[in-house]
Amino acid sequence: MTNTKLIVSHAPFWHNGDSLFQQNLNFFIALLPAALFGIFHFGAPALGVLALAASSAMLWEVIMSALSKKKMAIADMESAVIGLLFGMMVPATMPWWVVITGTFIAVVLGKFVFGGTGGNPFHPTLVGLAILTMSWPAFLDFDTAYVSYQFDFTALAPLVALKSQGTSALASFSNYDLLMGNEVGGIGSTFGLGIIIGGIYLILKGYARWEIVASFIAGILITATLFFVLHPDTYAPPLFHLLSGYTLIGAFFLAVENSSSPVNRIPMLIYGFLGGFMIILVRNIGVYPDGTILAILLINLVNPLIDIIRPKALGKGVSNA
Amino acid sequence: MIKRSFFALSKPRLTYDLLDTSLQSAQELAVPGSLTLLLPEEIDSAKKALIGPGDAVKKGQKLKLYDDSTPYVLSPVAGTIKEFDSYSDDFGSTGTYIVVKPDPSAQGDDQWAQADLEQTLEFAADYLGQIPGALPVSTLTNPNYDIRTIVVTGADADILCDTCQFVCTAYAGLMVAGAKILKAMTRADRMCITVPENLSAQVDLDGFNVLRTSDTYPSNLPAMVMKDHLGKTLSPGAIPEDEGVCFIRPEALVSLAQIYETGHPVFDKIITLIDKGGKKYRVKATIGTPISKIFSCFNVQINERDRIIIGGPMRGFATYTAHHPVVPDMDTIMVQDSDVVPELLDNACVNCGECVRICPANIPVNLLVRYLEANLYEEAADRFDLESCIECGLCGYVCRARIPLYQYIRLGKHELLTLRENA
Repeated sequence: MTNTKLIVSHAPFWHNGDSLFQQNLNFFIALLPAALFGIFHFGAPALGVLALAASSAMLWEVIMSALSKKKMAIADMESAVIGLLFGMMVPATMPWWVVITGTFIAVVLGKFVFGGTGGNPFHPTLVGLAILTMSWPAFLDFDTAYVSYQFDFTALAPLVALKSQGTSALASFSNYDLLMGNEVGGIGSTFGLGIIIGGIYLILKGYARWEIVASFIAGILITATLFFVLHPDTYAPPLFHLLSGYTLIGAFFLAVENSSSPVNRIPMLIYGFLGGFMIILVRNIGVYPDGTILAILLINLVNPLIDIIRPKALGKGVSNA
Repeated sequence: MIKRSFFALSKPRLTYDLLDTSLQSAQELAVPGSLTLLLPEEIDSAKKALIGPGDAVKKGQKLKLYDDSTPYVLSPVAGTIKEFDSYSDDFGSTGTYIVVKPDPSAQGDDQWAQADLEQTLEFAADYLGQIPGALPVSTLTNPNYDIRTIVVTGADADILCDTCQFVCTAYAGLMVAGAKILKAMTRADRMCITVPENLSAQVDLDGFNVLRTSDTYPSNLPAMVMKDHLGKTLSPGAIPEDEGVCFIRPEALVSLAQIYETGHPVFDKIITLIDKGGKKYRVKATIGTPISKIFSCFNVQINERDRIIIGGPMRGFATYTAHHPVVPDMDTIMVQDSDVVPELLDNACVNCGECVRICPANIPVNLLVRYLEANLYEEAADRFDLESCIECGLCGYVCRARIPLYQYIRLGKHELLTLRENA
């Protein structure tokens, strides 16, 4: 008998070709329009921060994989996406050591301590940002970050202005300016149009779940509309909330992170809506000007609780007797 | 291989292949110089075997290892037993290969000439357990089951396969005759046949209740046919037989009709070979023929690290040797080039939810696999619907982390049964 060595494995013998690398590559591509706009808008320092954030996040991944003797999964690009998202949400003038500390918290405390890819209960980037917000709020203050810049638009962070000056500040921000990125904010989180285009690309590719995005945006619009209708003098209109701060990047890129979001349809709708609802509550009633980070961390927390709402499996609860 | 489309908003859809009408008939393969019969019983050196190397066998002779054993094979040829070898499948079930060297000069099949061809289940259990198409006589004679409905799988269960469709159309007359014989033997009062809804071939299916199945995988799997067409949703862990339904290949009916018509046993199995390029060949080979003979007949080259799949791409099994014999329930052989064998990885589940959304049985595969990886089989069955799985393999097909999900599930079910048997 000839002994040709054959590959033996179990069914199915086909695969649709999807992989973690494809997923993260598509996230990366989808983030590019907003990130490129940030570089164009805030100049070389923005490029420096983005590059440092992505590369340091990857470096932390390599170090942690080596320390924990895990398979090196750097080529899956997950850390690159975490780092890039981190860089896109911080000001272009952030000092290098804060960026590196932030990505350390994101990759190591946000992801690796929970067991690495797939184990993180929260979005790693948000863990990093939340801890930075608590520790060094000054470095995340967009008003002071860009004092040396000359802009041809109001160089005030819209949500901070809303918080401190009330609705009178709204006159200086048009929805069009907010959509086209004529505002100060994180490097890649100001260009609303780019985020929407990238986000829709991700949804069409099947890497972001439209249920979460749609219900997240619905949560923001519905809650903000309720506040606005009841007290138009005190609260900002819904579109302002949708287009300012981290709202869009949160809806299209942060809330949809796989490991920390639900997979069943009804839980996805609840999860997204709750996120949008919480953002508006924080902004309108809470003390923080932008509630996106906290709101998404909060819905990450409730994800396991709501994701048990699921359809009955085949044959469960039916009797043929 | 069907790839993920550029736009993946909706879940992927795999469709069944319709009958390849360019293959009008099956090419007959000559009986090779040596046949390997697969007997599902292990050699027990403590017992005295009834047969041994060097023994002469007659055509149609019933071969079994020991006096008290129930499994048997029928020798398709007259000749001599050359050797025994042990065999084990992917779940560790063991069996015995009996290698028979045909002797063209030997004549006759005495045992069959003496036996009365009775149309009874007892006779079928004694002699027809290994006919091409694998008539499930052990199920039909099992006193625990009350089989009232027989469903003939005119529509193949796996994608790409069309052997059953071919048999139904090419041998429709014999199949109808075989169905009458089977109906007379059993207590079944309802004969159904699944037919792909868009199959245009006109076949006279007299006496059958025709069930038109959709072209979307996995609508031809027994559990789905039960649910969609017979109105009986299987409860978790149940098999169709528990509901009095038995699924039978059309070829089993054809063989049955041929046997009662001619009075002689039949050993020719119809097989579809799918080569690396997806081209199909239809072949009629004697049971026991090593599948390497089929490959050489059609000039299909098998290289190192290729994969030979017995069955379809979603539910088949990969064999470790090209010398695996043709067995009664082998419908399709598929060869996959080493270049297109998809890579499986030991990643953890990333919770992307692709499997959950595609699962036809609504199983939370993302949670289930975590328990299966930790060997918590009881909990997996109680809380995460392990036993509701209808074994379609779609979860493994879409898994982004490349986890062998279907393998975990099958192993989990297997281990669960072992646990319960030992309890």
